[in-house]
Amino acid sequence: MSVSPALAAGDTIRRSDRRLGVVMLTPALAYITVLVALPFLLALFLSLTNSSAGSLDFSFVGLANFRSVIANPVFQRSLQNTFVFTLVSQSLVMLLGNILARALLRPFFGKALARFLILMPWAAPISLATLGWLWIYDSTFSVINWVLLVTGWLEPGQWYYWLGDTTLAMIAIITIHVWRMLPFSTVILLAGLTSIPNEVREAAAIDGAGMLARIFQVEIPMMKPILTVAVLFGVVFTFTDMSLVYLLTRGGPYNSTHVLASLAFQDGVLGGDVGRGAAVAIFLVPVLVVLAIFMLRASRRAEVV
Amino acid sequence: MQTRRQFIMRGGTLVAAGVAAAATGPTILVRDARAAGQLKILQWSHFVPAYDKWFDPFAKEWGAKHGLEVTVDHVGFADVVPRATAEVAAQSGHDIHMFLGLASAFEEHVIDLADVVTTLEKKYGKQVELAHRSTYNPFTKKQFALSDMWVPDPGNYHKQAWTKIGMENGPTTYEDLVKAGPEIKKAMPQMQIPIGIGLSQDIDSNMAVRNILWCHGGSIQDKDSNVVLNSPETLAALDYAKRLYSAGMTQAVLSWNAASNNQAFNAQQTAYILNSISAYRTAQDNKLPVLENYFFTPALKGPSGTQLASEHVMSGYVVWKFSKNQDAAKQFLVALVDASRDSMMASKLYNFPSFYGAAAEASTPLAKKPESGAAWITAQCNKDPFGSNPPDKLALLARAQPWSTNLGYPGYGNPAEGEIFDTYVITDMFAKAATGALSPKDAMAEANTRAKQIFDKWRQKKMVGGGGKDK
Amino acid sequence: MLARSPARRAVSVVGHRLTVLFFIAFAIFPFYWMVVTSFKQNADLYVGATDVTHNPFIFNRAPTLDHLRTLFGQTLYLTWLTNTLVVGVVVVGITLLLSVPAGYSLARLTARWGERLSIAIFLTYLIPSTLLFIPFSRLVSLLGLQNSHWALILIYPTFTVPFCTWLLMGFFKSLPKEIEESAMVDGCSRVGAIGRIVLPLAVPGLLTVVIFALTLVIQEFVYSLTFISSVEKMTVSVGVPVALVRGDVYYWGSLMAACLITSVPIAIIYNFFLDRFIAGFTVGAIK
Repeated sequence: MSVSPALAAGDTIRRSDRRLGVVMLTPALAYITVLVALPFLLALFLSLTNSSAGSLDFSFVGLANFRSVIANPVFQRSLQNTFVFTLVSQSLVMLLGNILARALLRPFFGKALARFLILMPWAAPISLATLGWLWIYDSTFSVINWVLLVTGWLEPGQWYYWLGDTTLAMIAIITIHVWRMLPFSTVILLAGLTSIPNEVREAAAIDGAGMLARIFQVEIPMMKPILTVAVLFGVVFTFTDMSLVYLLTRGGPYNSTHVLASLAFQDGVLGGDVGRGAAVAIFLVPVLVVLAIFMLRASRRAEVV
Repeated sequence: MQTRRQFIMRGGTLVAAGVAAAATGPTILVRDARAAGQLKILQWSHFVPAYDKWFDPFAKEWGAKHGLEVTVDHVGFADVVPRATAEVAAQSGHDIHMFLGLASAFEEHVIDLADVVTTLEKKYGKQVELAHRSTYNPFTKKQFALSDMWVPDPGNYHKQAWTKIGMENGPTTYEDLVKAGPEIKKAMPQMQIPIGIGLSQDIDSNMAVRNILWCHGGSIQDKDSNVVLNSPETLAALDYAKRLYSAGMTQAVLSWNAASNNQAFNAQQTAYILNSISAYRTAQDNKLPVLENYFFTPALKGPSGTQLASEHVMSGYVVWKFSKNQDAAKQFLVALVDASRDSMMASKLYNFPSFYGAAAEASTPLAKKPESGAAWITAQCNKDPFGSNPPDKLALLARAQPWSTNLGYPGYGNPAEGEIFDTYVITDMFAKAATGALSPKDAMAEANTRAKQIFDKWRQKKMVGGGGKDK
Repeated sequence: MLARSPARRAVSVVGHRLTVLFFIAFAIFPFYWMVVTSFKQNADLYVGATDVTHNPFIFNRAPTLDHLRTLFGQTLYLTWLTNTLVVGVVVVGITLLLSVPAGYSLARLTARWGERLSIAIFLTYLIPSTLLFIPFSRLVSLLGLQNSHWALILIYPTFTVPFCTWLLMGFFKSLPKEIEESAMVDGCSRVGAIGRIVLPLAVPGLLTVVIFALTLVIQEFVYSLTFISSVEKMTVSVGVPVALVRGDVYYWGSLMAACLITSVPIAIIYNFFLDRFIAGFTVGAIK
């Protein structure tokens, strides 16, 4: 048994412990292998077939599904949307989350209540919360438009069709996502800020550093691991999410707001073309893998340094 | 600790075997001992909720009479297809599954109902042509579904608005809509969307854009299943949509779901929508102010006088191949058609029988039945039992059959048509052309490519014919 | 500390309060809207937003309980709520049973390969549900679990276990080794040390996992939609739209009431455990 360099000499794992380790790991591993890995392989396999409606009566079509998917403008659009959606909403979440976390760091009257209210969006079940937003964005009854009209932002006769315009619909989707992810990221960032000792801040202040300099030169580097974690989870949740788009716009107007996950659902489950749906969904996987490995490594390295 | 772990591991092995079998071997049917004597029906949540209150007890009572325990489960109309996909993938679930558009995409997975149709035709005479064309695949010669009812899709117009611009009986041609758009905007400035025809990814829009396509002489396929979307007629339809969009519509129609046009009309925010009478019934139930201005028109005419509209809902009951109660299921479907009169009344004249003869008095001789049934239907529509004012407001529904047709017109509603419907290829094309996101030519080319792909896929499966004359 | 002038101080305080107020407004506006919608009469609700004289924020007509009556009287809302909780609790139990030992093992009892394995386990969380949907349908029917809560109980851990194992691994790593080692020197076995020393210390981590898994379960709707067909067995996120969106008609009042009543208790529970949740999550994630 060779001592791995990562472990100090005294930490060498005993043989009996290793056996115990294997035993403790087995149930979870077995479950994951059987219920995630094997079905995943089956899905990969289906993407090479012309299976309809999930029946296992099909013939091989090779890479035809992939070829037809890649050539499809709707797919290209949703690939682009997936990245735009993820990048924009995560940037916003990190920016607003930092502001909010800093605001919550200071003591003030009613802080407990404020914290409670700010946390609510994360607790709401997404399918129901989206219905709430659907009502807010309704083309006829939108309260947002009423406010804009009363305040004079909208001229009489001018109107915003939140879910009827590609840009507005993307804004609507991103707004809901930011609304829902913001509490989660704020909570993580708050923990990061709390963990920075007050002495560090004071030392920086005594050195004459301004607030921005303090934030960018002292706090952000110190919070790097926790920022990485917040971004990682945010991206993961955003990238794989199909429910928001499916429930809010169903990909409309004219299939222009689909993300990969919702398009896969439309083609594979609604359209009954399982092979095609699988082919669309598979494009999510490599991106997520690269992203996750990169970020996991980064967060760990930051920790060591 | 030990036993719990063993339990989990044993469970794991069992599951592993299951997945392996699912992936490789033929289906292993686990026979449920209680399955005999049961009949499970998956039914949509009807747009007129009163119908469900009739259907569920009706099915249960029928079961009790035949020694069967009948279960009815309801899902929202948008979940009918995903649920079907899941049940086929699972090879288990309900015995009878109700589709409200085309069931054809599931043809491989359902049994042939030719004998049910034969029985019913012997009892009641022929079914309406559009029901036949929505449930039968001439290429495979399979009766994959049974339709007990269809729903006409008239235009709904706001009397006051149209009177103000001098068309008190509403529009009669598609050109009228373009003309009326700006005038209504002027006469009724509080109306956001003078003309409310959906161009979004939903069922109502899916029907509406087909109407426009057909009335301009275009179609997705010809009667022999060749893809003919790429045509000057389609271009004309797209050009029309573009004109209509700028004359009387807004981006709202790109985002509409099945409820939006009703909501807009009931809130008096639009002067014309294409919808069945369910929105009208909602307005009645809630005594909305729009009621006195709520009137209907027949399908509109295209430039050369073609007057066609897709059915609004076409029931397609299928019996799954995996069902263990196929005979009981077939019997139930016959009983359902037998109850056509009750069904029409329970749905407040929303459902129209697919077998008109089933609405006739039982004593009528067979040859006279369709005619006599039609007379009964006309009588109901002429004097709406559910309180219309004037009482003959719905009379035009009884005359809707000649201008109503099936998805897939002028051909049959084959699986390729079904998939094109379910993935919004045509609404997509119209919306892109109408808003200028693509030129009509490019939008058409894009949709045509996709339509051909879908047709080719089903032709390879030997379920759709044609192809020799694709454009 | 540097002294600040009173004026700058006041500006800073006002700016701070305004920032907080802005975020509160953003967070709760949809909930406020749900409250208003839940109690409005239809005639007050369905007035086009172009009517500037009709203020949608207030009750222009007397509030009504009709929508609540519909929700509780004509739908199985309470049953769906119970179903969701039952499934949630069992799934959380299974998640803990599988991921606590696995997380500990990865943190303490494996050498370098544990690190790689943990990344691999985390990655399985990323497989989109659209891909797994078809194989799962097959599996559920093979085991005869269709239209049964057991189907959800079998499937839901596929997204809770990978994530929670990974979180717990980080959490266990953050606990000082010396504590268990001293217990083991005192004659405890490793398993004994875990039970008596490690788990009590890990309570914040366990709570995080419980809350997190529960949230994921309550939010899920694709599997629930497809594997459960009887109305009386549905979970909240599926039952509510099925019963209250009837194609043509959205029962907005009752829908909003359902959204509100489901969300608020969860938010309260969350708030109660917030501090421990934060501790568990961050420690678990970066260690």
